[in-house]
Amino acid sequence: MAEFGPVTCAGCSLLCDDVTVDLSVEGARLRPDCRLGADWFSERALRMSGAPAATIDGEPADVESALARAAELLRRARHPLVHGFEGATVEDARAAIALADRLGALVSTQSLADAWPGAPAVPLRGASTATLGEIRDRSQVVLVWREDPETTHPRLLDRLGFGSLSAERVLVVVDDRDTATAGRADLRLAWPREHDLDALVTLHALQRGLPVQAGELGGLAERLLAVPHAAFIYGPGLTAGVSGQRRALALHELVRALCHDRHVVTLELLGASGTRGADDVLAWQSGYTGKVDFASGHPEMVTATEPIDDVDVTLLVEHGPADAGEIALGSLAAGPGVEVWIRTAAAGVSAGGTAHRLDGVPLTLQVVQPDDAPTAAALLTRLLAEVGT
Amino acid sequence: MTEIRISGGAVHDPANEVDGEVRDVCLKDGKVVADVGPEARRIDARGMVVMAGGVDIHAHIAGPKVNAARKLTPDDRRDDPLDRTEMLRSGTGGVVPSTFATGYRYSLLGYTTVVEAAAPPLAARHVLSELRDTPMIDKAFLILMGNNQVLFELIRKSGRPPGAVSPQLRDAIAWWLDATGGYGVKLVNPGGVERWKQDNGNVHSLDDEVTGFDVTPRQVLEAIGGAVDELGLPHPVHVHANNLGIPGNADTTLDTMRTLSGRQAHFAHLQFHSYGGKPDGLPRSRAPELLDYLSDHPEITADVGQVMFGPAVTMTADAAVSAVLRDLGADKWINHDTEVETGCGIVPYRYRAGNYVHALQWGIGLELFLLGRNPWQVMLSTDHPNGGSFLSYPKLIRLLMDRAFREDQIGRANQRAIRRTALLDGLDREYTLNEIAIITRAAPARRLGLRDKGHLGVGADADVTVYVDRTDREEMFATPRYVIKGGEVAVEEGELRRTDDGLLLSSRAAFDPEVSRVLEPLFGDRYTVAFEHYPVREPALREPVQIVEAAR
Repeated sequence: MAEFGPVTCAGCSLLCDDVTVDLSVEGARLRPDCRLGADWFSERALRMSGAPAATIDGEPADVESALARAAELLRRARHPLVHGFEGATVEDARAAIALADRLGALVSTQSLADAWPGAPAVPLRGASTATLGEIRDRSQVVLVWREDPETTHPRLLDRLGFGSLSAERVLVVVDDRDTATAGRADLRLAWPREHDLDALVTLHALQRGLPVQAGELGGLAERLLAVPHAAFIYGPGLTAGVSGQRRALALHELVRALCHDRHVVTLELLGASGTRGADDVLAWQSGYTGKVDFASGHPEMVTATEPIDDVDVTLLVEHGPADAGEIALGSLAAGPGVEVWIRTAAAGVSAGGTAHRLDGVPLTLQVVQPDDAPTAAALLTRLLAEVGT
Repeated sequence: MTEIRISGGAVHDPANEVDGEVRDVCLKDGKVVADVGPEARRIDARGMVVMAGGVDIHAHIAGPKVNAARKLTPDDRRDDPLDRTEMLRSGTGGVVPSTFATGYRYSLLGYTTVVEAAAPPLAARHVLSELRDTPMIDKAFLILMGNNQVLFELIRKSGRPPGAVSPQLRDAIAWWLDATGGYGVKLVNPGGVERWKQDNGNVHSLDDEVTGFDVTPRQVLEAIGGAVDELGLPHPVHVHANNLGIPGNADTTLDTMRTLSGRQAHFAHLQFHSYGGKPDGLPRSRAPELLDYLSDHPEITADVGQVMFGPAVTMTADAAVSAVLRDLGADKWINHDTEVETGCGIVPYRYRAGNYVHALQWGIGLELFLLGRNPWQVMLSTDHPNGGSFLSYPKLIRLLMDRAFREDQIGRANQRAIRRTALLDGLDREYTLNEIAIITRAAPARRLGLRDKGHLGVGADADVTVYVDRTDREEMFATPRYVIKGGEVAVEEGELRRTDDGLLLSSRAAFDPEVSRVLEPLFGDRYTVAFEHYPVREPALREPVQIVEAAR
């Protein structure tokens, strides 16, 4: 039996820090149980045993040679891209953005996989937000908008108090998919995604007492307006894709209106454990979030719609299997497209550090299985020294 | 380390009763020394003014609320970029600059120490990470404790008579400082923020009950203010009183001061708490009454929280205030509730000279400076960035030192508001350089308990600012000729010459470790963070640090 705990699980952005983990069993075991978390620990703790410290063009190499090659690539680059951050610590992000600043690189803390990840709505009007404990202790109605946290953040609803069978709290789910979360809903509304904007605008009108055709939204509005405290949980299901910004803006406008005579907050469901912290670091170091270009010698915010077409070298920082990019630093194996790959100690398994929970609460990550591999922060700091000379 | 002789300048060192005397200031090994050898670098300061490095006792420069404000206001920084150089990191400015820009610009202004005045303890790791990226200055942060449910519980359970301090509460506060690396204790609208988070409520007097907790703001002030006093922390309890911004709030402010009577206390941004009138009406000034109280009570100090006409970003743990600004038509508004501890509200704002309320606020701030009899009690701040950016300090100094300039500016402000202040009553006071040195470094350092800062006596930290003595005081204080930090020249001719990480300043008070056994079950019921993970133990976040021990 090799149990460690309590430790912080970085398997998703919920960063549960009450976890006991046993790595001696097949696939790892977590208490409280979480399949996602167990897989995450297992993948990082077990799969990399025996892996090379680095590869160059897919062939095993030592770290020093790989660093030298990476530095050479970065020195020659006209406009490198630094991205990823899914499993990064705050310390990794600080080092990565320092390097990007020196290189004049583009930094993205957003997923590049989505064709249109959605421009943020918060800078337009703001938002009302809260930490998990506030929602758990105060919100009588919690509305999950087109997300399935039971799958993506398996302990979220329990951590928000829905495991304790409180009769006075209502879980509302807006989703036309049969998800595990929808299966727990007290009230389920299942219109298609293209009706989301209309629904939010209609709810806003109902809040203002305007005469509108409410349909099934009438019941939802009644529930929201009957309680002094409510919460909306949302994520890419609302904000990604075409018109995502408008839908997000409509949500925040609705919440702002509801806040006039009750307390209403939102919680954005971010996927990976490292992206909130990386975005926070990017904000404090540059003043901007999401995508920031340092090419002109100072930070410039890049809108989601601007194409990234002049990037000639990519540096992927702690981002799952490294299947893209010339240089990748990560705790999982590289794919075929990677020119230089350097294995890192996975934060939260083999390395410590700080991570920011999806609600912004900073937490420490612990070492449960020591590894000689360097952290991404250490490698990035070395690279900064190399390219700076 | 470098040895430096600053030669022939007019030294203004009020803490050591030096008022413009031409003398040399010698620096070695990061300290002020009596003399240095002939090989020391000589800085010719003839025709210049020499002061200790500036100390900002109340600003908002790091942490989740500051960062949320950055995220909210990208357009404000677009036209104020800061290019990277071989030595410097890039960044952006505006009213809420990025971290590196914050450190560089404070340094370029001659400031060497800054206090972040409101940090949620739960977010300590975030605050510490940001402060590590804020170079050039030594920095401290105050932890928010006026709406902490765990402390409410300890206060309620203590069953002690008013004024008596529970040892458990005292130990808990010391534990919290130890757990976070904080420097001092901040109370923001005690009890009122908890009420806001419940259902948009608030407390309106010191005797309103905080629903669900069976405590009142007065009990919180007495218990925590008393505990901080008994602990002998280097900085007394730092109070943002209830009813900020509400006409008539001077009654609450005076009540708060009387409640803390006999204890050391610092009142933040007093300007925002100096209003007469009725809650639903227009405010008027009651600054003179508050100054009268201060003059009879040397145990109370304040910073002004001057508003400056132009852009600002209001950010406060007093989230109910932000909702008021939202309802006045603000385009952007952020609210953030932090479990157990505090709230947060952010609204970008602009103070306009023609607006009655803004002009009155501006006038009240000047009254506090100009009518106050003891500059050691009333210190300079704009509550950056709430009343305006720290970059407006030079203009504020000119308003205080240059009567003609002030009268010109008064003439441009809303006259109906100005008539309700004492500014038209022949107020001809002009601050001296020594008084400026008091309100910008000597008094804040003394009030913070930083014995080696704010002065130029032997043994002081070698943080020194040298200004060219110009008639235009705004220009003079905006562009120091030299800024020396830790004995090394950081700024010369208006340019940064070297970088310095700066120190984290933390305080430490003894406590009974058994208090953990009391706190752990209270944490478990409330926080979503494990008790054992709450304290920041990672050296990388807390170093380099200078610990200031409590007196008792």
